[in-house]
Amino acid sequence: MYQSKFVTLAKGKFHGGIHPQEFKSISNQRPIEKLVLSKTLRLPLKQHVGVQSIPIVTVGEGVTKGQLIAKCGKGLGANIHAPANGKINKIELMQAGHPSGLPVPAIEISVEDSANAGSFTLPKISDWRQVNLKELISQVRQAGIVGLGGATFPTEIKLKNQSIDTLIVNAMECEPYITCDDRMLQELAKEVIEGAQISAHIVGASDIIFATEDNKSAAIKALATSLEEEKDDKHTASMKIVVAPTKYPSGGEKQTIELVTGKQLPKGELPSSLGLLVQNVATLRAIYKAVTEGETLTERLITITGDAISNPGNYWLPFGTLLSDIAEHFEVDRQECKKAVLGGPMMGQSVSDFETPVSKSTNCIIFNRDKSNEKSWVIEAKQHQSCIRCSECQVVCPADLLPQQLYWFSKSEQWEGLEKQDLFDCIECGACAYVCPSEIPLVHYFRFGKSEIKKIKMAQVKSEKAKQRFDFRETRLARAKAERAEKHRKAAEARKKAASEKSADAKENKQAAINEALARVKQKKAAMSEEEAQNNDNKGEDV
Amino acid sequence: MKLSSPFFHHALPTSKVMQLVIAALIPGILLQVYFFGYGVIINLFLCGFTAIAAEFLVLKLRDRDPWSTIKDNSALLTGLLLAVAIPPTLPFWMSIVGTGFAIVFAKQLYGGLGFNPFNPAMVGYVLLLISFPVEMTAWLPSVELAAKTPSLSESMQLIFVGKTSSGLSVNDFRILADGYTMATPLDHMKTEHTLGKMSSEIISQNHFAANLKGWAWVNYGYAFGGIILLATKTIRWQIPASFLLSIVVTSSLLHWWDPELYNPAKFHLVTGATMLGAFFITTDPVSASTTPKGRLIYGALIGFLVVVIRNFGGYPEAIGFAVLLLNLAAPTIDHYTKPQVYGHQTEKESVHD
Repeated sequence: MYQSKFVTLAKGKFHGGIHPQEFKSISNQRPIEKLVLSKTLRLPLKQHVGVQSIPIVTVGEGVTKGQLIAKCGKGLGANIHAPANGKINKIELMQAGHPSGLPVPAIEISVEDSANAGSFTLPKISDWRQVNLKELISQVRQAGIVGLGGATFPTEIKLKNQSIDTLIVNAMECEPYITCDDRMLQELAKEVIEGAQISAHIVGASDIIFATEDNKSAAIKALATSLEEEKDDKHTASMKIVVAPTKYPSGGEKQTIELVTGKQLPKGELPSSLGLLVQNVATLRAIYKAVTEGETLTERLITITGDAISNPGNYWLPFGTLLSDIAEHFEVDRQECKKAVLGGPMMGQSVSDFETPVSKSTNCIIFNRDKSNEKSWVIEAKQHQSCIRCSECQVVCPADLLPQQLYWFSKSEQWEGLEKQDLFDCIECGACAYVCPSEIPLVHYFRFGKSEIKKIKMAQVKSEKAKQRFDFRETRLARAKAERAEKHRKAAEARKKAASEKSADAKENKQAAINEALARVKQKKAAMSEEEAQNNDNKGEDV
Repeated sequence: MKLSSPFFHHALPTSKVMQLVIAALIPGILLQVYFFGYGVIINLFLCGFTAIAAEFLVLKLRDRDPWSTIKDNSALLTGLLLAVAIPPTLPFWMSIVGTGFAIVFAKQLYGGLGFNPFNPAMVGYVLLLISFPVEMTAWLPSVELAAKTPSLSESMQLIFVGKTSSGLSVNDFRILADGYTMATPLDHMKTEHTLGKMSSEIISQNHFAANLKGWAWVNYGYAFGGIILLATKTIRWQIPASFLLSIVVTSSLLHWWDPELYNPAKFHLVTGATMLGAFFITTDPVSASTTPKGRLIYGALIGFLVVVIRNFGGYPEAIGFAVLLLNLAAPTIDHYTKPQVYGHQTEKESVHD
C-alpha cells in the first residue's frame, strides 16, 4: 500500500461480510473515455429519491445540452436537464427501467448534433469560499445533483445539514465488477478533492476522510499524491485517507461509518446524528463541476463490463442512453446475453428489456453471458433446496441479523414474528444469499416480507383513518342531532313563550275589554240612574 | 420467476456439505470396523439403504420428486450415523425399523430436510434403545480382547439369522477368553457400580482397560474427522467446544466430589459416542440452536446432561437422550440469544445517556 502521512488504517470493523471474487481488473485498466451513442435519449422523470419531476418543455421544442427540462417537484426531488442538443420527441409513459418493468413517465429527446449549438450552463462560481452558503446549495440544487453512489438521494438536502464535523467520502466501491469510483480517483483525484472541500465548506465540516478499500492501491496513490501537492493553507478542512481491508459490503453507509469511526449508527438515526456526512466520489465530482464550471448533471461515469463485451472499461455516458445502443457499441451477442445487470452483482437489478436507459443511479452495467463461465454468476432463478439452518448466513450478515430466522418467518408468512426479528434492519446486501449452500434467494424472500408488512401497515393506516373518519362522522352526526334537537327545543320554547305571551296578552286584553265593558256598563248604569233620578225629580216637580 | 439480486453465489452446495460430513466419518468408521468387526460395514449398508428407500417411499407418497431430494445426501447421512451408533451385530430388522422410523417419522412427516425438530438419527437410536435394550447394549468386546471375532460371513449370519452356521449366537462372541461376558465400558462401569465396586477397582480390571482402549481409538477417529469438519468450516466450533468443555467440567466436578463413584473427564471423553456426538450428532444444524451464543449454551447443556445421565440415569449411554432434550429447547434458546442487531445497542446506550 502507498506510504503517506495521509494514509491510515480503518480503526473499526463490522460483523460478517464476504470476499467474493472481484472481477475489477476487467474494467479498471483502461483510461476513462467519453461516449455519445444514442440518437434518442430517454429520461425517466423520477431518477432520484422523492417525487417525480415536472416537465417544463413541450413536445417538438428544441433543447440545448444542460438546459432544464423537468423541474424538481413539490417536496423532495431533483431537476432534470437535457443531456444533449436536440428536440423533445415525446413526453409520455415509456419503458424506462423501472424494476417492475412497467412503463413510467419519461421524456424522450431526439439528438440533433449541431456543432454551433453550444450548451447551457449555470453561472460559474470560481471562488466558492467567498460566496454565501445558500448560493452554493442553490447551485447544487439547480444542477440536479443526487447521490451518485446508487442511492440517488437529493444532495442539496444533505448539504443543508448543520453540526457536521466530518465528511466521509465513500470510495469503498465494495461490489465486484464496479470500478468507476476507483478510476475516477485515479484520473480526477484533484476534482474530487475540491468537490469534497466545497461540501465540507458548505456543511462546516473540519475533517474530510476518504474511505476506501485496500484493493484500490492506484486510487489511494493518486489521492495521496494529490493531497501532498495541495497547499495546506488553502483549505479549512484537514484531509486523510482511511483504508479498510477489502470486504463486501464495506461500502454500505452503515458499514463505512463503523469502519471509519468504530461506532455504529444508532437505529433510525441519520449519519448527521454522529456529526457525519457521507458522500460518494462521483457526487463530489459532480458538485465540483456544478459549482466551478456551472455544469448541470447530464452524464455520469459508468463501468461497462462483463464477459460478453469488447473493451470493458469506464465511460462517460449521457443519461438516457439506451442499453440497446450500448450493447451494440460493445458488440454484445444478444443471443448469449439476454440479461444485463444495472449496478453490481450483489445489489443490482437485472434487465432483460434493452430499451432501458441509463439514469442517475446507474454506476455499472454488466453484460455477462447468461451461462457465464463464471460459476458465481447466477442470473436465472432455479429451484432451491431446503434450508438446513447451517447459519452461514448469520456468520456473514453485516447487520448481525439471523437470516435463517428471517427466512423461516418470511416463508411461513408470519409477519409479526418477521418484524420482531428486525427485518427492517436488513440492508439487502445479499451476503447471506451469496453463501447459502441451498442457494435460497434469501434477499428475495426478505423483500417480499418487507413489501407484505408495508402493505399490512398501509391497510392498518387506511383502516385507522377510516375508523377515524367513521368516528368523526358519528360524532358529527350526533352533534348535528344534538344541535338540531337543541334548535328544535329552543324553537319550541320560543313558540311556547310566544304563545304564552300571546295568551297572556289576550287574557289581559280580555280582562281589559271586560273591565272596559264593565266600566261602560257602569257608566251606562250611572248615566241611566242619573237620568232616572232626574226624571224622578222632574216627576216629582210635575207632581 | 424473475430473480432479484444478488446475482452472485458461491458456496458448497448442501449435497456436498453432506458428502463432506460423510467423508469425515471415514476415519472413525475404519477404526470402528477394526475394533468391532465387519458388522459395522454391514450395518452401514443396511441403514444407508433403508434410509434412502424410506425417503424415496415417503416422497413418492407426498407426491414429490424423490431423486432431487435424495441427491442432497441427508437421508444417507442419517442412516450412516445411526449405523455407527448401534451394536455391530444388531438383528437386521431392528436396524431397518430404527432407520425407517428415523426417516419416516422423525424427518419426512415433519416436512423433510430442514423441518425436523429432532435429530432423526437419534430418534431412531432412542426408539431402538427403549424398545430393545438388551440387543442395543449387546456390543462385542474390542478386538484385542475377544476370544473369537466373527468373520464377514459370520457377521452377516449374526445380523440376518441371529446365529452363525456353526450355531454361535451374539452372546457367544461377547464372551472373553476368561469366560467373562463383556459389555461396553459405560455399561460395565454402571453394572459394577451397582455391585458396589469402586471406580478405581473397575478401571484396574485388565479386560476393562483393554476394552476401553478400543473405544478410545474409535473416539479418536471421530475426533479426527471432526477436526476436518472444523478446518473446512463445514461445522462451526461453538457446539463441539462447549459440549466437550461441559463434559470435562461436569465430570471433573463430580469426580472431585467422589472419585470412587464418579469417573474422571478423561474416561467420559473417550467412551461411548462422545466424539461422534461432539462433531457429528450435536452439530446437526437443522435440529440444533442456530445463534452463536445459543450454540454455546446448546452444546454445554447437552454435555452436562450426558454426564448426568451417564452417572445417574437408567441407561449407560446418554448422547441420544441429551440431544433430543436439547432439540426440544433449541427454539427457545434461539429466541433468547438473538445477537445484537447493528445500531440497536447504541440506541439503548443513548437512552441511558
